Amino acid sequence: MAALPPLPTAWLTMPIDTAFLCAERVSFAYGSEPPTVVEAELALKAGDFHCLVGRSGCGKTTLLKLAAGLLLPTSGTIRLDGAPVLSPSQQVGFVFQTPSLLEWLTVLDNVLLPISLKRTVRPTDRTAAAELLELVGIQEHASRYPRQLSGGQQSRAALARALVTAPPALLMDEPFAALDAITREELQDDLLRLTRQRQTTVLFVTHDIAEAVYLGTHVSVMEQGRLRFTTPADFPPEQGAEVRYDPRFSRLCLDIRTAMTGRPAEAAA
Amino acid sequence: MTNHRLLSPALLLALGLFWEAGVHLTGVSALVIPAPSSILVVLWSGLVDGFLWQHIWVTGLETILGFALGSSVGFVFGLVLGETDFLRRLLWPYILASQVVPKLALGPIFIIWFGFGITSTVVITALICFFPLLENTMTGLQSATPEKRDLFRMLGATRLQTLLRLKIPSGLPTILSGMRVAIVLALVGAVVGEFISGGSGLGASIIAAQGMMDSTLMFALFIVITAMGMLFYQLTVMFERRLLRGWLKGNES
Repeated sequence: MAALPPLPTAWLTMPIDTAFLCAERVSFAYGSEPPTVVEAELALKAGDFHCLVGRSGCGKTTLLKLAAGLLLPTSGTIRLDGAPVLSPSQQVGFVFQTPSLLEWLTVLDNVLLPISLKRTVRPTDRTAAAELLELVGIQEHASRYPRQLSGGQQSRAALARALVTAPPALLMDEPFAALDAITREELQDDLLRLTRQRQTTVLFVTHDIAEAVYLGTHVSVMEQGRLRFTTPADFPPEQGAEVRYDPRFSRLCLDIRTAMTGRPAEAAA
Repeated sequence: MTNHRLLSPALLLALGLFWEAGVHLTGVSALVIPAPSSILVVLWSGLVDGFLWQHIWVTGLETILGFALGSSVGFVFGLVLGETDFLRRLLWPYILASQVVPKLALGPIFIIWFGFGITSTVVITALICFFPLLENTMTGLQSATPEKRDLFRMLGATRLQTLLRLKIPSGLPTILSGMRVAIVLALVGAVVGEFISGGSGLGASIIAAQGMMDSTLMFALFIVITAMGMLFYQLTVMFERRLLRGWLKGNES
């Protein structure tokens, strides 16, 4: 393995005890294999939109699954609202790389799945789910089946399903990676609108630097299982899509890219 | 499209005429190869005087009962073995052994246990249908993607909910294709089961026709069995289409 030059340690965006979702020296290894996550420290306060960027296989999806409680750390602790996460939490919505809709249910029933697994679906739930479909812009497809929808529409349905129980935290694993550029931008804006409106705390994994900077209030770079670099990336939301062409935006993308390729990164301007 | 639809029956007609002509030109004995025209006459009179219908009823009943019994037991075993690793490892060699034994070789002992007639044939048919459903159910339960399993874990679904609302529906296409295999095998099982144990039914009639050296009747019975097989198969396909509405809808556009 090539020796890496020294890198800045991941810095915390706040004291860990005020965080809504945090990772305290979290490590994870599958069996006796080399660890995929090493001593990760992360802290998100309520309403933060934290993006994790890194190359394929850097451990970012593993860290996300640890945060979800789908995997348990070999050492360290994940805390959600102060309590250690030991199993998948109902306070967390998860959006996967693929929309993962159930092909045998209509879009509306897919969105209602988190509720129907817990209790009988009430008419008010149906109304709420229909409103959510309207918010993500696919209300006219409510009674169609997933295979009748385009990729972007399926991603929208998956987002609605994750939001239907109004979870305070949302974990997202490259949900837009398979979409074309324009559809992806539309979905990014819809996601920002919905999560800001509901003050949802988001941990968002992506390999796309521009996506991370655009969406995130904070961006962390992960490399070989370690969090190498964390920076605020808070561009005012009212600037909209034009912010993508702001020089400060490009500058931050470049800094993050530098951090990802393993050379010492300069502090963000 | 219309051309294709006409092509298949046209081929049948051409083969029939070729056969008819061949029989008349070579003067081969009706005991060896009967002429299609005389087969159709026997078939028609058998249907009109009701002689064939009672046998169709018996064989049909055996096929449906054997299929229903064998495939439902196979499905339930498939669920249990698919869900419990311990039982799968414990029982799999025995289940495999029970399938490697030619079922018809067990026919004589079934006759001792259940007597001549419908029960023995139904049991043989059920044994034949058991395996395709068992195997396809076990395979089908594995077909939900890891992401969907994680989704159900995130949503706090119980094991039973995951089975009923994720694994079985995900595996349905595989399970139903096992059913399609089983229904065809069921008819074979019923007919051949009657060779050994039957007093009535289409298989028993074939043996009786053989005893009377009536090849023409045997060919007429082949036609009836083939038609029944195609009917059962089509019914299964219709049932499958109905259950897989959601899957199939996406392929229209």
